[in-house]
Amino acid sequence: MDLKWKDAFVTLGPSLLQGVVVVLQATFFGFILATIIGLLVAICRLSKHKPLRAIFVVLVEIIRGTPLLVQLFYIYYVIPILLDGLLKALGSGSANIQFSALSAGIAGLAINYGAYISEVFRSAILTIDTGQKESGLALGFTEQQVLRKIIIPQALRNSIPVLGNYLVMMIKDTSLLAVISVSELLLRTQTYASQTFETVESYTMLAVVYLILSLPLSHLMKMIENKFHIVR
Amino acid sequence: MIEPEENMLSITQLSKYYGKNHVLKDVNLSLNKGEVLCIIGPSGSGKSTFLRCINLLEQPTSGAISYRGKNILDKSLNVSSYRQHVGMVFQGYYLFPFKNVINNITMAPMTLLKENREDAEKEASQLLEKVGMAEKKLVYPASLSGGQKQRVAIARALAMHPDLLLFDEPTSALDPELVGEVLKVMKKLADEGMTMIVVTHEMGFAKEVANRVIFMEGGYIVEEGSPKDIFQHPQNDRTKEFLARFIN
Repeated sequence: MDLKWKDAFVTLGPSLLQGVVVVLQATFFGFILATIIGLLVAICRLSKHKPLRAIFVVLVEIIRGTPLLVQLFYIYYVIPILLDGLLKALGSGSANIQFSALSAGIAGLAINYGAYISEVFRSAILTIDTGQKESGLALGFTEQQVLRKIIIPQALRNSIPVLGNYLVMMIKDTSLLAVISVSELLLRTQTYASQTFETVESYTMLAVVYLILSLPLSHLMKMIENKFHIVR
Repeated sequence: MIEPEENMLSITQLSKYYGKNHVLKDVNLSLNKGEVLCIIGPSGSGKSTFLRCINLLEQPTSGAISYRGKNILDKSLNVSSYRQHVGMVFQGYYLFPFKNVINNITMAPMTLLKENREDAEKEASQLLEKVGMAEKKLVYPASLSGGQKQRVAIARALAMHPDLLLFDEPTSALDPELVGEVLKVMKKLADEGMTMIVVTHEMGFAKEVANRVIFMEGGYIVEEGSPKDIFQHPQNDRTKEFLARFIN
């Protein structure tokens, strides 16, 4: 077998570096949005308002019951058509809506992971001792203030280990964005491999790059976890 | 200074059901400013529920509670601002584990009374001094003993300048050798004129510090009187029986 490691390194290498930037962008924004969505959904699902709870139960089940891949296609190809139709129906003419592939990808990651993270937050909130709530109420905090200043800070800290897991998973799941033409790592590798037939070299490099990205991240999360760990 | 006749709390025909379970039955109580009231009785007698009704952690099923002449069961009452006047100390301490001792104390006054950090910390330091916890200012609750946690919890409640302090079995979760330090702080507060309602199994404390003692059983107030009445000349057989267990 004649492997051209040097060729692959020199030509595919720089391209993958650019891909890394895209992956980091997608993960960074995707994860922040997913965390925000997760927290909001968790709060809505714990609200006293029954219809609100029901809506979010259904939404979370829809997201968890369909593959991320399908969701990405849906956001990138279907939603623009639906929005366009809606605008036409409202009589404001064709707006020709089109998201960039990357923003559609970020939206997909954020919504998909948001659904899972909402469950993490929900159970973290539920496991906080009711005494914490009662002592806050007894001091004169409102229910809202208790949630915001006493329960959520503890729930967030307790969620960090699981969130770290999801972050590493998300970095790897950015490879799915290739299907909606985001030029992340996988798409770049596929293109290069199909042109040069350096299949072994290309995909090995790809795997190594993912490893290099996710290993330090796992360590970073461990450090953050230790820093915010509440000793009991 | 203290006007002993000033009525603080007046409770009439208070009743509480948990589903079909009738846990408080026609409870009446009047409390004056500066009084220290101890509630004793066996577990499940309704004494904690009664205490929790006073700051509305439990909603009474029927009856009336008025605080300084104001009906606190009125639907239009701002419950949170009422609770700011009524502090509570729990059996389980419930300090905020993600905040150090001083921030546990300053959090409520800074948020609710809009005190600035400097004033709030100064006052918190004085309160910690008072409960003998000045050296532990920057420590997190996890590294404190139960007695220390409870003293911080008392300081935290005091930081809101409550007019009335409720204690729900404050020493029941403590190792026996740590009970004394908490009771000492509570006695000090009583001596300073703090109005207190204490649910407790510490008969020594009730005897020594209370102005009035209530014995509850089965959701009723069975007997009420001065510590001397209750401990030396109990009238009711149930009271006698209950106290007999503590004398031996």
